[in-house]
Amino acid sequence: MNIQFNKRDPIYLQVVQYFKQEMAIAHLKPGQEIPSRRDLANQLKINPNTAQKAYKEMENSGLIYTEGNLPSRITEDNHVLKNIRKELIDEATDHFIAAIKPIHVPLDELVDLVTEKYTQASKDKEDLHD
Amino acid sequence: MIEVKNITKKFGNKKILKGLSFTAKKGEITCLIGINGAGKTTALNAIMNLTPLTSGEILIDGKKLTKESYQTIAFIPDTIAMLSQMTIRQAMHFMKDFYTTWNQERANELLNFFQLTETQKIATLSKGNTAKINLMLGLALDVDYLLMDEPFSGIDIFSREQITSVFTSHLIEDRGVLITTHEISDIEHLIDKVILIDDGIVVKDFNAEDMREQEEKSILDVMREVYVK
Repeated sequence: MNIQFNKRDPIYLQVVQYFKQEMAIAHLKPGQEIPSRRDLANQLKINPNTAQKAYKEMENSGLIYTEGNLPSRITEDNHVLKNIRKELIDEATDHFIAAIKPIHVPLDELVDLVTEKYTQASKDKEDLHD
Repeated sequence: MIEVKNITKKFGNKKILKGLSFTAKKGEITCLIGINGAGKTTALNAIMNLTPLTSGEILIDGKKLTKESYQTIAFIPDTIAMLSQMTIRQAMHFMKDFYTTWNQERANELLNFFQLTETQKIATLSKGNTAKINLMLGLALDVDYLLMDEPFSGIDIFSREQITSVFTSHLIEDRGVLITTHEISDIEHLIDKVILIDDGIVVKDFNAEDMREQEEKSILDVMREVYVK
């Protein structure tokens, strides 16, 4: 587990965001056990109080659950998992559109450009894995 | 909780602390930040009763400082207080003789963690390793509060990383830590509460996560607002 934290967003929200990403690509699987708050703090080099806050936030929004004294687990609720994926994609797309809109790029040109760059980026990633 | 209430301190005619007030809670990492000469070290010395105050008071868990307070609080100064001809083992024996709160098990664990051996002489240690031993000698005390004066100054990046990882481990957890620094970047992610000191008073006092959440500012952003005029 490795997160590059930025210094202006709350750390706990950055942790939650990271968990969402890992869940969206199923690196963290439904029902999978997650580290204790102390382990998480140690792995990410963050304050245990912050790790606790991140877990509380995820618990409240149903991303993880805890039964009794057992370790917390990733939710098995498919509805929640689907929503996370949608939320992440929406967020990133909105971000992109907000950045590109002031430049007035025609949609066709934009779609072509995205297709080209996206294909290239995926290819680069494959090469990296070889 | 450590409560520092309106303390003042004069050295001759020079006022160092001009009515300093702040608190540091158990289970939290509180960071005193200020440029050199702001009064950080004097504040720590005052909490440990190492320097007499001109006025004001300091309470630990609601009580005034007494001899017994030192069973609940430990001070890690910015230079090692052990004699340089001692080996690490001798330094640990020294601590054990003087402090009933000395926890040898934890000391061993820390030595292991820092990959240092107890037969090494303090005089032969590098600056970084001396800092680690200094930290080990303080952390091995079973106390509720730890005061640390500039634990990162003059230490290489890997030693700093090793020291910061102690902060997120069970070696610190649930204790109250009051740390002074002017190098914020190493521990920005670790701090609960920030107290900015300038010229002997507290100029700003905030929770780091709240600041990021409510004002989208990093600790450094706030420092810039306060110190750069």
